[in-house]
Amino acid sequence: MKKTKQVSLVLITAALASCHKPGNADWVNANGQHRRVYIRSDSTAPYARMTHPAGILLWYYAFRPYGSYSYFSGYRRVGYYSSAISQRSNIGLSGEKGGIVRGGFGSGYSVSS
Amino acid sequence: MQRHTLTPRNNWQKEVEKLGFGFHTTNVPYWDESACYEFSMDEILLIERASAELWDCCLGAVQYVMDHNLYYRFAIPDQFIPYIEKTWQEDHPAIYGRFDFCYKDGVPKLLEFNADTPTSLYEAGIVQWFWLQDYDKGKDQFNSIHEKLIDYWKYLKSYLYPGPLHFSCVKASLEDLTNTEYLRDCAIQAGLQTKLVFIDDIGWDTNDQVFVDGQDEPIKNIFKLYPWEWMIAEEFGANILADRNKSFWIEPAWKMILSNKAILPVLWQLYPDCPWLLPAYFEPGRLTDYVKKPILSREGANIELIRGTSTLQITPGAYGAEGYIYQQLATLPDFDGNHPVLGSWIIGQEPAGLGIRESSTLVTDNLSRFIPHYIR
Repeated sequence: MKKTKQVSLVLITAALASCHKPGNADWVNANGQHRRVYIRSDSTAPYARMTHPAGILLWYYAFRPYGSYSYFSGYRRVGYYSSAISQRSNIGLSGEKGGIVRGGFGSGYSVSS
Repeated sequence: MQRHTLTPRNNWQKEVEKLGFGFHTTNVPYWDESACYEFSMDEILLIERASAELWDCCLGAVQYVMDHNLYYRFAIPDQFIPYIEKTWQEDHPAIYGRFDFCYKDGVPKLLEFNADTPTSLYEAGIVQWFWLQDYDKGKDQFNSIHEKLIDYWKYLKSYLYPGPLHFSCVKASLEDLTNTEYLRDCAIQAGLQTKLVFIDDIGWDTNDQVFVDGQDEPIKNIFKLYPWEWMIAEEFGANILADRNKSFWIEPAWKMILSNKAILPVLWQLYPDCPWLLPAYFEPGRLTDYVKKPILSREGANIELIRGTSTLQITPGAYGAEGYIYQQLATLPDFDGNHPVLGSWIIGQEPAGLGIRESSTLVTDNLSRFIPHYIR
């Protein structure tokens, strides 16, 4: 029954523990307001075509998460950006994304069983 | 089995956080070392024996379900049956499961088998072990979870496809992430190349017809802490059948049969003399004192405890659409209003350890507390 004398972990550290705390105060500012949450721009928040109110398709905003596009220098990202998703998936027209779609799993909240 | 009340360690929160155990307290305590359970070696040996025998029974029951095409009892869609049988016949890699026992009068009785997505693995394998080192180093514990996980990942290594073993769970749950990262930790120690991808970041390459991770690399081996019944009902579910890589999903799809409470009447039909089983049926009216359980439910939801004409407890929830089973009532032992359920782990093919969750009611739900144990 007894374990070996040395039980070691190589991956799990205090870093995981620091993720802790429901209702973490970090998420609420001094005025009790929730901090702004930036939604990541992969297909878990599906891209949609954006149009100007006049009905003009805004190609340089469509399919791009956050940033600006210049005809000369190309796309330049700003603000929140997730390195968890590859550049190819995050940026570019949908045809350039290699036909990869995301978000087809994961509607459940927690397994906890 | 005896319950003892204790004074928790000073700064116990820091002690467990040092181990990476961040969800020790939510709005109610989860890790609770103000009490512990003591077992004799004979009691532990019996629990171990019961777990080993039930594992054999479960494998027999899976084969029976397949041979007699009983999938309709499990609400498993027809299109997944060939795939489930393929994962069984080809013996796709599987790593673990947890039997939940009602332990009373010295006999463990099976309440259910968490065969697909059991949690509390980290608490059972690591946190309670380090608690015991502080509480009484000289005592033993039914706990070889850590060593068996590493050993079994080593064993599985040669059965996996070349390339990394991905690990996946939902983003929103630290509990799920900790359990998943713990399994990954053991896989790394076993020499496997691993990669974490959250379940909602998994991509489907519509050109190549394969699953990909966040960096668009193909997924060929993946451990998922995410239930099969959810996966097959979601948008990507059908892609599992179309996957050109024929990826290994761990736990494999045949665990859908064992993790479903419809397995309980099948087990009883096949092994009525097994001392670890409670009578269970698909039909109502065969038992006087019984528990009505949805075949698919989680965290003690939608359970009804009936004794004669009295209802002892009903829990709320959103489950039950797929049907119910009826299992003979076995009320959990009562230690001053604390009701423990014993979770007996199977790692690989062997009993590996014990984790105890305690509730204030007869149904173990998501407010239950994890209580450590030792062998005297």
